[in-house]
Amino acid sequence: MAENNSPPGSVEEKADQIIEANPSVKDDTSLETIVRRFQDTMSEAKTHKFWETQPVGQFKDIGDTSLPEGPIEPATPLSEVKQEPYNLPSVYEWTTCDMNSDDMCSEVYNLLKNNYVEDDENMFRFNYSKEFLRWALRPPGYYQSWHIGVRAKTSKKLVAFISGVPARIRVRDEVVKMAEINFLCVHKKLRAKRLAPVMIKEVTRRVHLENIWQAAYTAGVILPTPITTCQYWHRSLNPKKLIDVGFSRLGARMTMSRTIKLYKLPDAPVTPGFRKMEPRDVPAVTRLLRNYLSQFGVATDFDENDVEHWLLPREDVVDSYLVESPETHDVTDFCSFYTLPSTILGNPNYTTLKAAYSYYNVATQTSFLQLMNDALIVSKQKGFDVFNALDVMHNESFLKELKFGPGDGQLHYYLYNYRLRSALKPAELGLVLL
Amino acid sequence: MGDWAQLAQSVILGLIFSYLLAKLISIVVTFKEDNLSLTRDTEPPQSEIKPEFDSRRVDSSTGGGEADSLVAEQGSSRGDSVGGDDSDEDDDWEGVESTELDEAFSAATLFVTTAASDRLSHKVPSDVQQKLYGLYKIATEGPCTAPQPSPLKMTARAKWQAWHKLGAMPPEEAMEKYIEIVTQLYPTWLDGGVKAGSQGGDDAASNSRGGTMGPVFSSLVYEEESENELKIDAIHTFAREGEVENLLKCIESGIPVNARDSEGRTPLHWAIDRGHLNIAKVLVDKNADVNAKDNEGQTPLHYAVVCDREAIAEFLVKQKANITAKDEDGNSPLDLCESDWPWIRDSAKQTD
Repeated sequence: MAENNSPPGSVEEKADQIIEANPSVKDDTSLETIVRRFQDTMSEAKTHKFWETQPVGQFKDIGDTSLPEGPIEPATPLSEVKQEPYNLPSVYEWTTCDMNSDDMCSEVYNLLKNNYVEDDENMFRFNYSKEFLRWALRPPGYYQSWHIGVRAKTSKKLVAFISGVPARIRVRDEVVKMAEINFLCVHKKLRAKRLAPVMIKEVTRRVHLENIWQAAYTAGVILPTPITTCQYWHRSLNPKKLIDVGFSRLGARMTMSRTIKLYKLPDAPVTPGFRKMEPRDVPAVTRLLRNYLSQFGVATDFDENDVEHWLLPREDVVDSYLVESPETHDVTDFCSFYTLPSTILGNPNYTTLKAAYSYYNVATQTSFLQLMNDALIVSKQKGFDVFNALDVMHNESFLKELKFGPGDGQLHYYLYNYRLRSALKPAELGLVLL
Repeated sequence: MGDWAQLAQSVILGLIFSYLLAKLISIVVTFKEDNLSLTRDTEPPQSEIKPEFDSRRVDSSTGGGEADSLVAEQGSSRGDSVGGDDSDEDDDWEGVESTELDEAFSAATLFVTTAASDRLSHKVPSDVQQKLYGLYKIATEGPCTAPQPSPLKMTARAKWQAWHKLGAMPPEEAMEKYIEIVTQLYPTWLDGGVKAGSQGGDDAASNSRGGTMGPVFSSLVYEEESENELKIDAIHTFAREGEVENLLKCIESGIPVNARDSEGRTPLHWAIDRGHLNIAKVLVDKNADVNAKDNEGQTPLHYAVVCDREAIAEFLVKQKANITAKDEDGNSPLDLCESDWPWIRDSAKQTD
């Protein structure tokens, strides 16, 4: 039953502040406003209260350089890890999702398709494809036990999902085995039931059972404590559609005609030797990437198996191109992006927004601008409406010049049970989570 | 001067009022802290029920019962949006879905913990609070299995008793009773908009970025373009915005139908740029020049082709728009046409 013993002090203070800042709360018409603000504050405070109990960098420790970098809590013996799953409310049960099964994969797909992340205005909702989910959840060495579903006992309906996949992530000089936690989703009809917390704990437990004690994750909200905060940028490929569906706006003084001309791209990539990555390129691409990623404070640590899985092109999932020097046949440059469509909610003319997301890119001989412009060109040819990128790695150097515009979303990156002495700049991060 | 005194008086009253309100809320918050620890979580029953009501400032023990309030889950009690777009075909939600009662109940608890504090006149007597507490526990956790707190902890004990004496009351009944009491206390609570808020209106931010772990859906920030030296007349604006009546008034008042903006665009250019076929027809009807060129040498048909507006382009071609007129870059509408429009090719052949 667990009474909540936490001191209400901070919440109280916040509530006080809200009231004092809003003398108008006396007014009945603002009832809803106050309730809403109050709720926001409450939920924020409670969220933080949860994270305060977790081995994550705490806000109060920011700037405290006396704390050592590295694990916050030591690994415990496996025998001390809780062996039974956490209890769910009695009408639900845990299920392990076998993504090899078409039926299971479809269930996860449908849950996410109808209930996963939306924009603030509820105009778009991510629609990760089945093939994408299979790819994202089954990298080398994956654990099926980390693909965790929650079912309703009576109907057997899948009502929630959370997943982890193993990854090696280098933090400064240390390569750490981590879990990348993603796809946390609770059915819309059950949001009030507070399933997410116990799901986070359950995935953590199952990660611990594999003797892994660190994790990486992202969130759109600030939790304790981001290792860096990235900005989304967007490059219109099909501006008319983006405007029609409300992804972007046409200024009153701007014409559609001129906007379309502004974003027009050549019909074919311009770099000689620019071609699709093939299986035989895996060793060369791995070398290129490892060398490139070594300069970032926190970065993924790819070996050839990882490259083969994460970067070999898969139709409608991930695209990778490289530049093979026409003279030496060396692979000198590499770019990649993944396919993440979104459902367009309530638009009579369009149902799907097709977005490409910049993944890992390395330029050694070709200019980064030209390489990424070629990436834009091929993504336009493939029918994408927009090309998105975070300002991680060296991306900032091409964003403005290639006509990316800033997005209204930020993405915070987090590590679980690993402390960084100081936050990174986005450009010091060499990690892209899907 | 009297006004000032009055104003000052009301400001002071307001402040006092706010203070009282804050006080009350903080009490209710602690109530909520306790009341809303909504989880049939798994931790072995912790015997202690904290006497939050009277000792809420005392301890800062963060250990233990934390687990149940982890709220990485977004939406909390108002995120229960069942979006209209939610095309979930199956209705197999018996016993799983938040029922109407569930929702009314969460609305009521939300009301109690927040909005109720707004009605200073009705401070809830503590026995009623305890009754609500007991019903709440039954509704969310079921029968009381916790050991009785020590007699020294008066409030905790009273709350425990409130819970315990309800025995094995079914949760539904507890919810109903809870709602009943709230309704007795505040007959109008449902009108307060709380319910709407709790059931997710426009801000039912479900899994949106206000939410939890995972990626974020970001869209382009609108940036005012630098092209602000553009000079544009009312007639262009009406054409752009599709305002037929205002446009006609302009024309009737003697504004030339081919008036140019500072970029050389006519109202017809603007109407076509924004896809208003009706406006284009009105303008052509008023003898607009279908082959007017803007400062870059582009005709309305260039615009229609570039913007991929088939119906408009077809209309213009029927109105004898020139499909081979070159713009400053040397491109005709035919050159710029990327769409597969047979009629424009046919028309091109006829011209040849």
